[in-house]
Amino acid sequence: MIKFIFVCIILCLTAIANMAFAENTEPQELLIILRDNGTITQEQYDKLKQTTEHKAQEEQSSRVDVKVISKGGVEVQTYDGNFSFKLGGRVFVDAAYYDEDKNALGDGTELRKARIDTKGIIFGDWDYQFEIDFADGDADISDAYIRYNAFFPTRITVGQFKEPFSLEELTSSKFITFMERALPNEFAPDRNIGIGIHTHGEVWTAAAGVFGEEFDDDADDEGDEGWGVTGRLTYSPVHLDTRALHLGAAASYRIPDDEKKVKFDARPESHVTDIKYVDTDKIKNMDSLIKYGLEASGVLGPFSLQGEYIYTNIGRDNGSEDVDFDGWYVYGSWFLTGESRHYKFKKGAFGRVTPMSKLGALELATRYSTIDLNDGPITGGEGKNITFGFNYYFNPYIRLMLNYIIVDNDEDADADGDVMGNDDPRIVQARLQVDF
Amino acid sequence: MTISARRRSGSVLAVLLFGILLCGGTCVLAKTNLWAQDKSEALLEKHTLVIGKITQNPKKLFRYLKPMVNYAAEHMKDLGITDTEVLMAKDNQRMVSYLKQGKVDWVTETPFSAIILQEKAGAEILLKKWKKGVPDYHTIFFARKDSGINSLSDLKGKTIALEDPGSTSAYSVPASILINEGLELVRLASPREKPLADKVGYVFAEQEITISTYVHKGFVSAGAFNNQDWNKDDHLPKAFRKNMIIFHKSRPFPRAIELVRKGLDPGIKQRLKEILLNAHNDPKAKKALRAYQKTEKFEELSEKDRDSLDEVRGILKSVRSELE
Repeated sequence: MIKFIFVCIILCLTAIANMAFAENTEPQELLIILRDNGTITQEQYDKLKQTTEHKAQEEQSSRVDVKVISKGGVEVQTYDGNFSFKLGGRVFVDAAYYDEDKNALGDGTELRKARIDTKGIIFGDWDYQFEIDFADGDADISDAYIRYNAFFPTRITVGQFKEPFSLEELTSSKFITFMERALPNEFAPDRNIGIGIHTHGEVWTAAAGVFGEEFDDDADDEGDEGWGVTGRLTYSPVHLDTRALHLGAAASYRIPDDEKKVKFDARPESHVTDIKYVDTDKIKNMDSLIKYGLEASGVLGPFSLQGEYIYTNIGRDNGSEDVDFDGWYVYGSWFLTGESRHYKFKKGAFGRVTPMSKLGALELATRYSTIDLNDGPITGGEGKNITFGFNYYFNPYIRLMLNYIIVDNDEDADADGDVMGNDDPRIVQARLQVDF
Repeated sequence: MTISARRRSGSVLAVLLFGILLCGGTCVLAKTNLWAQDKSEALLEKHTLVIGKITQNPKKLFRYLKPMVNYAAEHMKDLGITDTEVLMAKDNQRMVSYLKQGKVDWVTETPFSAIILQEKAGAEILLKKWKKGVPDYHTIFFARKDSGINSLSDLKGKTIALEDPGSTSAYSVPASILINEGLELVRLASPREKPLADKVGYVFAEQEITISTYVHKGFVSAGAFNNQDWNKDDHLPKAFRKNMIIFHKSRPFPRAIELVRKGLDPGIKQRLKEILLNAHNDPKAKKALRAYQKTEKFEELSEKDRDSLDEVRGILKSVRSELE
């Protein structure tokens, strides 16, 4: 199946190359042959050549130009702004060493992300994105949506995309400061199929949507899918290149599918291991899921701070007790080489860092995060991670990341009984990532 | 269906969709050339108002231009304008061709391109645009405080970093100022090369941050870009700026110019002028102005502005004859 994709890519690139570089040389070659064979005279040849060139020039000037750009991937844009097509992707290669405490975590390597991504504009007002991740051996759709932009800055999106919740979640994995998102990110709703609206003013953004479930997430053939509504507001009185302040709040309400179950679990902030210390197992009799998130971030030159708090309430019926979980994190980052984290105000998230020097950029960061999955009858465990990060940006598209993580789990953080609780390993992990 | 079977079928679906999209996307773009030929005829129709700009990033500029042309067209319905288009060009030559063919009605450009479009395509300068909130800008020449450079003549035998040949404030203006100062410019392939003692070497750094980095690290003796770049930390970090001096400034030039094509219906031209001059007083224009490169307002060109544009003509002449 993957071969099929590569054949498509080759076909696609060949077509783009032909579009970009093809020239109308055939008629001239034919004229040369006719002249050399003595079929036409030199005089006739000159006249025909002039006519052919004039026609070619006329044809050329009546076309809208096409621009081909490559920064690793390939992008084609028409000069009337009505069409574009981009083929890109990302590859993250990870390795982790676990200084184990009580449980074996499994040192090793992992292809954390291996995504191919297409996006484009169709007739100016429409754009789309379609992205597939091959990292775990299957082909999983991540983003797959169509967006209508005619009422810009208001945009309407239909398809599978991230629900508007959490600064860290909405910041692409290409641009997050640490190798993995913080522990409470487990509560963020992630991508689902739905319809959303997003708009912004000069200092605020608003986004909301109604969502079903993921494209392959039909829990029961006969049962109804779960659905939810999610909204997010952000406020940013300052969003300059080197100074920014971001405040945000989000809420999500979800009705479960017919199974009425929900499960929260999280690895330590390392993905090579499969051990998810904190794990609630399936919580039954859920009749609603409510989440609230608060977020704040500030950038001041090379320094930045970011933090979030997420609260989750599971409403239950059939006499089962409601349960509440929460988690939060805070981190600071410092670019030793003077760059600033790139705050994208309209999106309410962070974007690509461009090193000031051709020698690259260096960033130091540290984070504290915690998630608490213990409440009432549920003893999913509590985990705390302290992470020290070092990032080296070779250029805007290639980054080396090193993380050292101190893990502190409580006695209930036992992967739902599969491992021993109170396990406090240390983790060293590295990533080389490229996106194009 | 088992979970793994569902995942497999999901994967197959994903891959098929992806493949179709890849091939489909390519075909759409391949077709665009053919479609564009038909469209170019449509653009000549009177009912379509077409805005244009010279750019290397048509996707991005489309979002800047489309709201403004839509806003203007909203007020021209009684003149028969019912549709709008954007048509951008990769260089001056292409835009000249579009203007001559009547494919573009209205262009927003830098003063230098505006003069070229005026001279070569007969385009008419309409108004001055307060792009990014400012009416004018000027070029500054800067060097390290410890470089000993205090005037343009001190650059003899030294190298200055400029942006690229397409830049107004970081190439055409500084180059012409140096030429008018009687200095002979010679292009160097890299900052490591040294010019002869009686010449001024220049290198293209391509980005403003590279210009300032070259100067900061002593790879070159001086740099030049516009006064807005000087105050932008992304282009000149504070840590660099505190060790720099400005040793020369150009006269100010209009930040941007609005032009219309030769032969545009006088009624449309007059209405466009009125719409733009009044836009900053119209709350409905706020979003379009912001999208339109954060334009604060438009105004008539003053005598001083026209003198500046005359100087631009002179600069273009000297840069062309000396360097091209």
